[in-house]
Amino acid sequence: MLLVAFGGAFLTYFLGKVSQTLRNGFAVLVSSVLVCMVAGLYGFEKDIVYFTFFEYSLILSINTLSWFFAITITVLGTLSILFSLSYVKDKSKLDLYYMMMLLVNASMLGIVLSGDLISFYIFWEIMSWSIFVLVSYNRGAALAAGLKYIVISLAGSLCMLVGILSLQARFGTLDIAQLAVVMADAPHGYLVFILIMFSIAFGIKNGIMPLHVWVPAAYTESPSPFTAVLSGMLAKMGTFGFLTIFYVLLGWRAFLYLGQGRLSFHYILCIIAAITIVIPNFTAVLQDDAKRLLAWSSIGQCGYIILGIAFGTSLGVAGGIFHFFNHAIFKALLFLAVGAVEFRTNGIRDLNSLGGLANRMPVTFVATLIGACGLIGIPLTNGFVSKWLLYKTLILNGSPFLAFAALLGTWGSFLAIYKLIHNIFLGQISETHKSMRRAPFSMQLPMVILGAVTIVFGVFPGLPLHVINTIGISLGFESLGINLWGIASTTGTLNTINIFAAIFVLLFIVYFIFRAGAQSRMIAQDDSYAAGSYIPEGKYHYTVDFYNPFYRMIGPWLKDSIDEFYIWIGKTNERLAEIIRRIYTGNVGHYAVYIVLFLAVLIGIQLIWRPW
Amino acid sequence: MSIAAYILSPLIGLVVGIFFMGLFRVMTARIHWRYGPPLTQPVIDIIKLFLQKSVSHGVVFELGLLLSLAGSVVTLFFVPIGNICPLNVAGGLLVVLYLMLIAPMGIALSGGSGANPNISIGVSRKMLLALSYEVPFLLIVLTLMFHYRTISLVNLVQLQRASSWGIIALPLAGISYFLILPAMLGIRPFEIAEAAQEIASGLKVEYSGKFLALYYIEHAFRRFIVIALFVNLFLGGAGEPFTFLLKMLIVFILGVFINAVFPRLRIEQAIRFNWTWPTIIALAGLVIAYIWG
Repeated sequence: MLLVAFGGAFLTYFLGKVSQTLRNGFAVLVSSVLVCMVAGLYGFEKDIVYFTFFEYSLILSINTLSWFFAITITVLGTLSILFSLSYVKDKSKLDLYYMMMLLVNASMLGIVLSGDLISFYIFWEIMSWSIFVLVSYNRGAALAAGLKYIVISLAGSLCMLVGILSLQARFGTLDIAQLAVVMADAPHGYLVFILIMFSIAFGIKNGIMPLHVWVPAAYTESPSPFTAVLSGMLAKMGTFGFLTIFYVLLGWRAFLYLGQGRLSFHYILCIIAAITIVIPNFTAVLQDDAKRLLAWSSIGQCGYIILGIAFGTSLGVAGGIFHFFNHAIFKALLFLAVGAVEFRTNGIRDLNSLGGLANRMPVTFVATLIGACGLIGIPLTNGFVSKWLLYKTLILNGSPFLAFAALLGTWGSFLAIYKLIHNIFLGQISETHKSMRRAPFSMQLPMVILGAVTIVFGVFPGLPLHVINTIGISLGFESLGINLWGIASTTGTLNTINIFAAIFVLLFIVYFIFRAGAQSRMIAQDDSYAAGSYIPEGKYHYTVDFYNPFYRMIGPWLKDSIDEFYIWIGKTNERLAEIIRRIYTGNVGHYAVYIVLFLAVLIGIQLIWRPW
Repeated sequence: MSIAAYILSPLIGLVVGIFFMGLFRVMTARIHWRYGPPLTQPVIDIIKLFLQKSVSHGVVFELGLLLSLAGSVVTLFFVPIGNICPLNVAGGLLVVLYLMLIAPMGIALSGGSGANPNISIGVSRKMLLALSYEVPFLLIVLTLMFHYRTISLVNLVQLQRASSWGIIALPLAGISYFLILPAMLGIRPFEIAEAAQEIASGLKVEYSGKFLALYYIEHAFRRFIVIALFVNLFLGGAGEPFTFLLKMLIVFILGVFINAVFPRLRIEQAIRFNWTWPTIIALAGLVIAYIWG
């Protein structure tokens, strides 16, 4: 399967030299074949040793956890490539673009399927570098964003490498299954060190709070179909890493009791996750760039995932994994929708200069609305179920403050995403967009599919939760009582089909009451408030500065001081290097003086303390 | 019982909600030393509006409004009125919290398809106001859920009836809820999103005929839900609908008194108020509940 994935990626590049259509067709074919292959592997558990190198054997393994990630990767990959067909049509270097898209998918598959840490690291690096190429695909500002990303990503990779080498030196094996056995009785201090090293690497990919700085720039500048994959799946490789390291490698008992009382590792991670929920979601409210808004909101949503996973109850982990899946679906949907708008308006992402597009792009509008409902967590979308699981476990297991952070974050995302909808699709339409056409079919199809998934899994959450429950059991958690439309338990039952039926029936009743009233007449937008008088062009766009009063109040509190801090570190390092460089004057006499001084210091030390 | 409850619950909500609207106008007028309209004025208005012709801006304009009304009624299904609670099996205060989002979102979508700048201003204000009172509100709800260790509204009522009312067990949370109640009801001093004199009623400025009628009905439901939640969360609910409605009436009349004598705040002032006193009190309540619990 990986052979198909990687081979397909490279073959696409060469086919592109032959013919454009052939390449596009082949890219779609490869990605959809992968979906079928992964889907066929459901319920399959096997380890394959594919390469032996000295005493290390590189292993591929598949279980329900990796299957669940793999299927999400391949489906999203296919849809984003489908979307790319028209999105990047007029750009240059398309062969490279398609190859990299497929390569990213292939490397992600490699990560989730790898059974030892060496393969994991290799695929991780392939992924990191392909992301760099794709982020900086649109030159200019994108290049800066890509550089920012790769510097931070390298730091993460190095931390992971330190962790891996240390494990190798201590236990002499890198096979995940074997490590899980030998790590059981390692001292706590050592485990914390390993966890911190890996957490930095995964936290950078996932964008948790002090390590998130690359996210806004990279998400904003990369091509939209890739942003969908980047936010939907690539960032979630961090989630996969966390799951692997916490629960597969360490086991949840060891993980939860690492530390003393409130000062345990998982509790601190929970608090970091809570901070990651609140601050980015409110920063998103203040953004004016559509993709930057979604990027900040992505960071915030990742906080929910990490919170669920770090909280470590069976409901919490199930909620975290489910929220990962949901976020992949609806955030990809939102990025694609913004991409479609960007495509039709020739690259406008500024929320202040859009408006009133709902009638021009109805499919995109409905898709965005569904995605937004999922993001907020309105009942009948999948986002509601996963958040419900999280809140329930947070409240019932006695962490009201974490629950408060999570609920508050929901309000931040509500305000942010509503601003997006209102400013793009509602209000007054600008003169230049009045003759705009709908999004092309290859863009609408992925959005429709993702929107349908959001709703179907919101009404029948049992389908994905069944798989997640299997994962939970394999990680050693107790089973949740799951049926097709909800979760039955003694402390509170959720039944989505009831809500769905009630809303549906009520809509009909209300509709009939509505029809019974006197007739209404369709009129153009401007007629009713201008009453026929002249409207000055482009003067009444009141969605500019939508939350201005709010911005004045909380704006100063939400500056990205962490980014500034990193830049300060960079600058300080540069200055320090400058000072050190001055030492090397190039004058032999100076060097002689240094040597004499050094000897003098050594002698002085010897005379005073006599250490030697 | 169950089928009857599905019909009874919205019916009570509708009748009482519209009665409250009439009472609201009469009482405010008497406090202002005016005579005021008859008690049945809202009923007359709604029937009249249904019979009038109206203008529409298309599908989103209509569907958004219908969605908000349906959302409000579904929310009501989860809120027990005495012993009437059609969807209590699926219980959960969390579901109510999220269902309460559907109605304002529907209205905002519907209003947004008009081009009137007042609508955009109204939407923005409504969202910000909601954010400002949600901060203390979430703290309050969490305090209750944490104290009683349940996320079901029906359980919460039963537990209060078994011991003491929420406002006695958790006085700080109760006081805080009462402080944000005007903001949740959208009455003065927090009548910011629908300021008739400033932004021509904001969101509803483009509604006419049956649209306006549906908007009024939705509004009636919404007020009913907010007050019913207060009674359920802090005044111990009730065993049968009559006592429940009596408790609601008392809370409502207190709200009218506040509305009649206060001027309207600006949106910044409202956010600042809601994020200081109610939030501090609610937070203190939660901390105390956390330490004792």
